[in-house]
Amino acid sequence: MNYTLDFTPVINGLPSLLAACLGTLGLAVGGMVLAIIIGIGGVILRDSPIRPVRWLVKAFVELIRNTPFLVQIFFIYFALPLAGLRLDPTPTAIIALGINGGAYAIEIIRGGVQSISKGQVEAGLALGLHKSQVFRLIVLKPALRAIYPSLTSQFILLTLTTSVASAIAAYELTSVAQRIESDSFRSFEVYGAVTLFYLVMSWLLMSIFGLIQSRYFSYPVK
Amino acid sequence: MTHSTLSRRHVLLGASAALAAPALLTRPALAITPAEIKSRGKLVIGIQGDNPPFGFVNTSGKQEGLDADVGELFARELGVTVEFVPLAVANRIPALTAGRVDILFATMAMLPERAKAVQFSKPYVANYITLVAPKATLVKANADMGKLAIGVPRASVQDTQVTKNAPEGTTIRRFDDDAATIQALLSGQVQAVGGNMFYVQRLNAAKPDTFEDKLEFTRLYNGACTRLGEKEINAAANAFIDKIVANGELAKIYAKWIKVPMPTFPASVEGVSFTVS
Amino acid sequence: MGLNEFIFLLVGLKWTVFLSAIGFACGGITGLGVALARTSGIPVLERVTAGYIALFQGTPLLMQLFVVYYGLALMGLRLDAWVAVAIGFTLHASAYLGEIWRGAIEAVPRGQTEAAKALSLKYVSRMKDVILPQALRISLPATIGFLVQLIKGTSLAAIVGFTELARAGSIVSNQIFEPLTVFGIVGALYFAMCWPLSLYGAHLESRFAAATR
Repeated sequence: MNYTLDFTPVINGLPSLLAACLGTLGLAVGGMVLAIIIGIGGVILRDSPIRPVRWLVKAFVELIRNTPFLVQIFFIYFALPLAGLRLDPTPTAIIALGINGGAYAIEIIRGGVQSISKGQVEAGLALGLHKSQVFRLIVLKPALRAIYPSLTSQFILLTLTTSVASAIAAYELTSVAQRIESDSFRSFEVYGAVTLFYLVMSWLLMSIFGLIQSRYFSYPVK
Repeated sequence: MTHSTLSRRHVLLGASAALAAPALLTRPALAITPAEIKSRGKLVIGIQGDNPPFGFVNTSGKQEGLDADVGELFARELGVTVEFVPLAVANRIPALTAGRVDILFATMAMLPERAKAVQFSKPYVANYITLVAPKATLVKANADMGKLAIGVPRASVQDTQVTKNAPEGTTIRRFDDDAATIQALLSGQVQAVGGNMFYVQRLNAAKPDTFEDKLEFTRLYNGACTRLGEKEINAAANAFIDKIVANGELAKIYAKWIKVPMPTFPASVEGVSFTVS
Repeated sequence: MGLNEFIFLLVGLKWTVFLSAIGFACGGITGLGVALARTSGIPVLERVTAGYIALFQGTPLLMQLFVVYYGLALMGLRLDAWVAVAIGFTLHASAYLGEIWRGAIEAVPRGQTEAAKALSLKYVSRMKDVILPQALRISLPATIGFLVQLIKGTSLAAIVGFTELARAGSIVSNQIFEPLTVFGIVGALYFAMCWPLSLYGAHLESRFAAATR
């Protein structure tokens, strides 16, 4: 038996694959926004004066970071309905991605905030800067600058993780690829091509993140 | 941090590496014959791991079911030991064509479009494909499916049938396997599923007296599958199926797993050839 | 959930541990080669390995597993499913570990290399005796962090149809119809493997941070 590569199914399926890329990016962006919200909220609650709240945030971070995303998304989709919470695949995927990314974001943002030493704030005030100026120039900007690379690489990872959402039949690139694969039986060709699609999407996101970095978070050059 | 940032230039390098990879892959996969299987002493069978009573891994980790019993008989016929490779529904044909398994006894229904990708043997199982829903759900005709979210195992016959019969715009959710599909109906994530003759039995085991067959889409026959053009192993499978149909061994397996009398199998199925031409 | 079901999960767990161990060990050996090539100073080698790393860090693990799983078979290699999956994880791990260790090698102060050269140490001994021991220490928290990612990542072998812990969970959940319990237990088993590693990694990180302050 000879196996010759045949990319016809990929070419014929191009419109639906490209549309599915938008589905993937939609899940990714939704997940990122939710992750940032959870990240910032988590950092604030982590320093709460109420001990059980601090403890809960820590437990959340450890729990999410030490269990697989596939199990998390299965749990939300198949098990939570029995507890009365039923969501469609796409919201489930965004929430699962947001929760997963959020747990990492909490740790990353906390690291950034801690990197600002008290002395710098005091120095800023001593130089006669206004409180809002101190916050903007001495706390916020350096903190964002410090966390930006980690946060964005976490977001790239989150984008790649969207492929796991195919397991709950969410609309994204992997599930559409699986559909084309099962119609054509051209597994290697379809998955190989789709891998390239993901690579292009990663590249695109990295370019955007890089652009934002050079515009807003680069170190001043003198 | 575990993950360092990539540079964009490197991604382009990665892309060119990925583009170069297919060049390495145009070598032919090896064909297999019964003689080779005998000299190797082992038959590798692709089977379902989660679809009782056809093929499933029991909780002690042993492969069981009608397909497993038929497969074991075939290995005994060849005088070799058997190795079962449990496959997800959508992985069955790729696993065969890619050479991961020698033959499929994997609830493979005979469909003309599949016959273009694999070689079917003569039939050894009859099955019907239905829409399964809770009794309270009102479904009388195909058009009623339009308002439901329907789950199916991706790339299964249920998938083909539901996709074909449901009205335009029906929400069809495709899962990786039967397990996830059944779970989706039990969790209420879908209101109906495309099932086979055993779905109702399995679903009602979880929630007694809740589910029933609503529509029958089609009656299907399952065969063993080998790669296209592999004459010897297809001939061996056909001779084996003729034998177990004639000597009553298949009827015994039928009684054990399916609990209905073995049907008479058709001599031909439209659009499907049982032998290598 | 009965004892039988729990034992079935433990058999799945065994495969998860096994796949993680193979992926980490083989990926570690290959990854060291990748890291050394990436820092070799030879432009061709550096570019090729940079592309290799970018390819694996820029695509989903699930796709990598699919492509390796079907690609190897098309190359005429008939491998057991677990071997094919293990090769997928090895390649994945080698790229990530290669990148982590490249960072660590470059984090060793340049003066160390220059001093070693001044002492006329050859490349092998310079790396083995001077640079790598320090790089290993620097990279340890990130390496352990990646091991945790890898253990969690083995769950995706389930989607290829391989019965490890996550798929064992899905099968059991379908037999006893208690997804809350089953996925809860599966999650707890992963947690029991990953958490101690995470804690150890965090401990090392804070110790190193304190040492460099």
